[in-house]
Amino acid sequence: MKLKLPIIILFALMASFTACSQGPATSQKDPWTQAQLLNPADLAKTINDVHAPQPFIFCIGPQAVIKNSIYIGPTMEKANLDSFKAQLEKLPKDASIVIYCGCCPFSRCPNIRPAFDLLNKMQFKNHKLLNLPQNVKVDWIDKGYPVED
Amino acid sequence: MNKVYYIIFLPFLFYSMSLVGQTIGTEIGNRAPEIRLPSPAGDTIALSSLKGKMVLLDFWATWCAPCAKEQPELAELYEKYKNAGFTKGKGFEIYGVSMDSKKANWESMINKVGMDWIQVSDLKFWSSPVAKLYNLQELPFNLLIDGNGIILAKNLHGEELQKELAKYLSGK
Repeated sequence: MKLKLPIIILFALMASFTACSQGPATSQKDPWTQAQLLNPADLAKTINDVHAPQPFIFCIGPQAVIKNSIYIGPTMEKANLDSFKAQLEKLPKDASIVIYCGCCPFSRCPNIRPAFDLLNKMQFKNHKLLNLPQNVKVDWIDKGYPVED
Repeated sequence: MNKVYYIIFLPFLFYSMSLVGQTIGTEIGNRAPEIRLPSPAGDTIALSSLKGKMVLLDFWATWCAPCAKEQPELAELYEKYKNAGFTKGKGFEIYGVSMDSKKANWESMINKVGMDWIQVSDLKFWSSPVAKLYNLQELPFNLLIDGNGIILAKNLHGEELQKELAKYLSGK
């Protein structure tokens, strides 16, 4: 009878430990700030305005969808991240750069974080992540924004 | 007087019910829109060619982690039910539509998991006209369709999907 209480406490501790160990996956800090998220409507407006200065738009996901974007490929793969780095080395640090993937919701996209980390590490000053929280279909194509032919 | 009322009213009711079944759309009770896309071998396979069977229309992609995780479960489901008799169809087929863009990735996963059901794709990623036709919001997404092409259930996974399918077993 006496033994029961410690066992209950042990189970309670184990349960709370399990709950805590699941925590960091969701609370992990993203490498971009709120100000570094670019509104899709703003980018669409820029692309549609032939007189506006155009940013370098890099597709770091499975396929280029957005008009005038440069295809790199999924940056979860080292080869693609390396080729992204090689392209970035040719650009000045103050270049206007936009990256997008759009495969999946931000929470589980495997490509945006390695690419954004690289831009931070290379000390670019004017780089943004296109804010496609759901995917490139819902947040870009369905809105009628400019796409690749 | 009541009898006369029913005689007039019932045919109208059945007629309107049949019209609901004819509505092409992606809601439960709608007729699933036609899809005609190529398999990895290049031959076009129409969704309508599966008429008479229970069909799981599965939208997936190799780059979608939850989709990749689900495929081995679908392989088990397929093995278990492919020759089963259902009240709304004879046999069970999966019509897998991939939103991939690279054929090599697509084929490699099919072979690795042993997904030996129907696989089609236009390899156009989210630009695929089928994504628009089915108003896809995210992956994975699926529809359970009966032998007449009518949608029975929407976006069920794991145990829920298995239970839904088992509901229609005829025991024959």
